[in-house]
Amino acid sequence: MSEPMLARQPASYSPASGFYDEVYAPGATPRPHAIPLAFELARLGADHLAAAGLRRDTAFVEQGITFEADEDGHVRDRPFPLDLVPRIIPAGEWNSIKRGLAQRIRALNHFVDDVYHAREIVREGIVPWELVVTRSHFARAAHGIRPPGGVYCHVAGCDLVRDSDGSWRVLEDNVRTPSGISYVLENRVAMTRLVPSLFRHYRVRPVDHYPQLLAAALRAVAPAAEGEATVVVWTPGPLNSAYFEHAFLARQMGVELVEASDLVVRDDVVYMRTTSGLQRVHAIYRRLDDDFIDPLEFRPDSLLGVPGLVRAYRAGTVALANAIGTGVADDKAIYHYVPDMIRFYLGEEPILQNVQTYLLGDKDVREECLNRRHELVFKPTGESGGKGVFIGPLTPKDELDALADVIREQPARWIAQEVVRLSTVPTALDDGTLSPRHVDLRPFAVFGEDIRIVPGGLTRVALVEGSMIVNSSRGGGSKDTWVLDDSGEGDDRAEHPMPQPVPPVLPDVRHGGWSGQQQQQQQGQ
Amino acid sequence: MLARIAHELFWLGRYVARAEHTARMLDGVFQSDLQTSYEDPRGVQLGWSSLLAILGARSNGPTTRENALERLTLDPAEQASLMSCVSHAREGARTVRDVISADMWEALNTTYLVLSGPELNTRVSTGPASVYRYVKERSALFWGLTSRTMLRDEASAFLQAGGRIETADMVLRMLRVALPATGDDEVRRDGQARALLAAAGGFQAFRRSVPAPPNAVPAVRFLLYERAYPDSVAAAVSAAEDALEATDRAPRNSAPVLRLNRLSAELEFRRRADDDDADLLAVCEQVQRELSLVDADIAQRYFAGGAATVAGAR
Repeated sequence: MSEPMLARQPASYSPASGFYDEVYAPGATPRPHAIPLAFELARLGADHLAAAGLRRDTAFVEQGITFEADEDGHVRDRPFPLDLVPRIIPAGEWNSIKRGLAQRIRALNHFVDDVYHAREIVREGIVPWELVVTRSHFARAAHGIRPPGGVYCHVAGCDLVRDSDGSWRVLEDNVRTPSGISYVLENRVAMTRLVPSLFRHYRVRPVDHYPQLLAAALRAVAPAAEGEATVVVWTPGPLNSAYFEHAFLARQMGVELVEASDLVVRDDVVYMRTTSGLQRVHAIYRRLDDDFIDPLEFRPDSLLGVPGLVRAYRAGTVALANAIGTGVADDKAIYHYVPDMIRFYLGEEPILQNVQTYLLGDKDVREECLNRRHELVFKPTGESGGKGVFIGPLTPKDELDALADVIREQPARWIAQEVVRLSTVPTALDDGTLSPRHVDLRPFAVFGEDIRIVPGGLTRVALVEGSMIVNSSRGGGSKDTWVLDDSGEGDDRAEHPMPQPVPPVLPDVRHGGWSGQQQQQQQGQ
Repeated sequence: MLARIAHELFWLGRYVARAEHTARMLDGVFQSDLQTSYEDPRGVQLGWSSLLAILGARSNGPTTRENALERLTLDPAEQASLMSCVSHAREGARTVRDVISADMWEALNTTYLVLSGPELNTRVSTGPASVYRYVKERSALFWGLTSRTMLRDEASAFLQAGGRIETADMVLRMLRVALPATGDDEVRRDGQARALLAAAGGFQAFRRSVPAPPNAVPAVRFLLYERAYPDSVAAAVSAAEDALEATDRAPRNSAPVLRLNRLSAELEFRRRADDDDADLLAVCEQVQRELSLVDADIAQRYFAGGAATVAGAR
């Protein structure tokens, strides 16, 4: 053993009281799993972190890993903000998150199937039908269609947060087109390049197999003979804010990235236009909402859609991921019922808890919530990405009063939630010093033959001090998320020699040299 | 052209290609090693000790990451290091400065100067990826300049042949070390097949050309047989053949050309005729043996300066 790892909390670092800091426990000592991280961070020092930050920005701009941000009315390409301090999740904790997510996604999938078929959960009186049909993403067109394997939610991402006691809770479900996985993979690559020394004492589980999982899941549900399925990624186009991710996934999976004009439906079969004519498409990973996919079934004004697609889907000649109509399950009013769904469909107790949520349809509940409007969070039910969210304690009184009127008018379109005191993780400021910032976590699950979850996920961090808004469009950044490997827990990689498989004997590497050449010649003669 | 110059050019090509492959492998192993690696001895293995074996560095006992990284990157005393490859290449280029274009010489010389610069040690310890990336880019620059600024004469043919043979040799060495030996009843595990593709530099090309997941067998078959990928063994062998065929005064009678031709056909045959259970490790071994004979043939036919021709063919 070399030098002992002593890592006190830096004097300048002070976690806000009442919040859970994931690295430093109260008393200013690092939590056990974070000791090596705190030690290496101290050894790196602020200057080095700041320098690495500059290299990161250059590299991201060069690689085109950027997003568009509004700055003083100008839209500019900014490097995607990756914080260089990773977030670490110990193996045991991750196992329970993983089981909780799989359970939840299985239940959501059952629910989608149920809603468009037998409606048992409605008949049992658990979820009111009135609420289901009024959801903006309820899709009549999906009625009676059962995709291959009964899988609807092929790609799912749930937003998790940690409350002040450190417990994990689900804040939101995402079973339409959750985005962010490309940043998970790119963040990891960038971290190994920029701050490799932080990895020294950890065994971090890799994340780069996600595209493989996704490709395998898409091929598994495609109506085609084994090994012959043509899979495509469907993007709304280069102007979409997530185009980077669409292109990234297509490239990583080695499949075509198509736009609506590349696809055509003939006799209920989907084809793409290629240089050698029409080619059959079996599975489409679509990155646009139901509303836009087929002008004949959904919004007739959609220019992004493919006429006839839903007919082909209904005929079973093409798989769509995610299936049509999944949006009904990630509606924020339906969220309230997910624990009940888990009990109803799976007969299990939920492993991951919800955040306390109030449906505002009931007059008494609504008035009670509106009376507490300065301490609750109000969210519109059909939105995602933090749009239209009002955080009571941070919103001026006159805005809240106006909001109350809006809610009274359309109570079914709103929910209220208790404020979650999001946990904090040390985050490097521009000058390299550390400061606590609030984080959430979006793990990504792929549901093909079974549910596979990439270790970790996208940790989003609110870069503004005290802020709890983590969306990248509103000043949020991200962190590389490390799930530790538990095989050989506690073993310190830097201390141990690598495993030594005996390499086979190879011929010597040859070297050039004219004199050697000459000698050989002379000896040969 | 002078036999000595042909010999220098051939080795210049080899060292530039060797430097690039060394950088790619170091980068690949470095990255995959930071994350959990599979340690199933039946799977594809690509760690630091594999790397030492591939590059032909002597290994005395267990190696640590830091030790291997330092030795193989900037240590001028280590024959297998990136630094050694670049400095050999630069020495070679200096000898044939009059034959290659000034741009090519400058590209190599600058690379050498930057690598021997004072701040490089720090860069290796804080973020070696940037050093590897630099070498890969400079190598691409060198070959780009070769194709745009150098006369396509005999000299460029030897340069190309050297570069391509080195590529084939390096990929084969990598496969032979990384691939697990299989017994009769054992299933071949995939282990770090992905890291292998990354270290060879062909991950994206693989994704576009092969629908299968990047598992051991498809990955190895791709690196061996896929002609459409420029750094596969088959593509490198056939490019070396083309280069020599174009410059040989009597290619139909030339042992190296004939041998390369046969090897190229053999690879194509195996690609189409062998099933997935074929012993790829044995194929690698056989191809590499054949390549070393090609090497000897080239030395005999072109670099012996007439001695061999007078003495008659072997």
